[in-house]
Amino acid sequence: MLIFRSEEHIEKWCKAWRLPRGATLSVEQAWKLADSWYRDRMSPDWRRRTVEEAHELFRSLGLSSEFWRLA
Amino acid sequence: MTDDFKNRVRLRLYEMFLELGRSPSMAEIAGTLQCSVSDVAAAFRELAAAHMLVLQERSGEVLMANPLSAVPTPFVVETGADAGFRSWYGNCIWDALGVIAMLQRDGRVLTSCGCCGESMTVSVRQGEVEAKPPGIVHFALPAKRWWDDIVFN
Repeated sequence: MLIFRSEEHIEKWCKAWRLPRGATLSVEQAWKLADSWYRDRMSPDWRRRTVEEAHELFRSLGLSSEFWRLA
Repeated sequence: MTDDFKNRVRLRLYEMFLELGRSPSMAEIAGTLQCSVSDVAAAFRELAAAHMLVLQERSGEVLMANPLSAVPTPFVVETGADAGFRSWYGNCIWDALGVIAMLQRDGRVLTSCGCCGESMTVSVRQGEVEAKPPGIVHFALPAKRWWDDIVFN
């Protein structure tokens, strides 16, 4: 996951790597995703999320398209 | 191997990684847990099989303890401007912000545009994020392919 200056730069990068355009997030959305995903990583009780738990987290951030389906 | 031991190894790894500013070796972790290096290596392998760590192929040492990277990346995370400067590497922009989230303190990511290489700084202060210059985060691969090639991703 990379950060780019603009949509135009994303398109140039995708073309150079021969990859279809993926999903984009604003910096605010990316921060919310990072905060939700990693906030508890140092907890002694931390365990890997189940697929359904991960989907629920994505959904809570508005990331509900097929792109965000883990399985 | 018990889940309790694997969890102790995982936690010690993260604690030492944050303290040292680099990934501790298996031997260093074994020394602090008073167990054998082979026990730590076995715990690493099981954690990696469960996608909780990514290991270096030859040595079996840590490559990624997400969100932290054991090798330098273009995502430098800095914290503690007023309480002791610290820095680490994140695996990607998501992970770099994740280091700040995990630490629950203010920080910033020094990075660059994936296309043109222009320097960019993403700062988090009291839960508010700001990129200078402004930017957009791009996920190239859909979620179901993230673990196909986690290093590229």
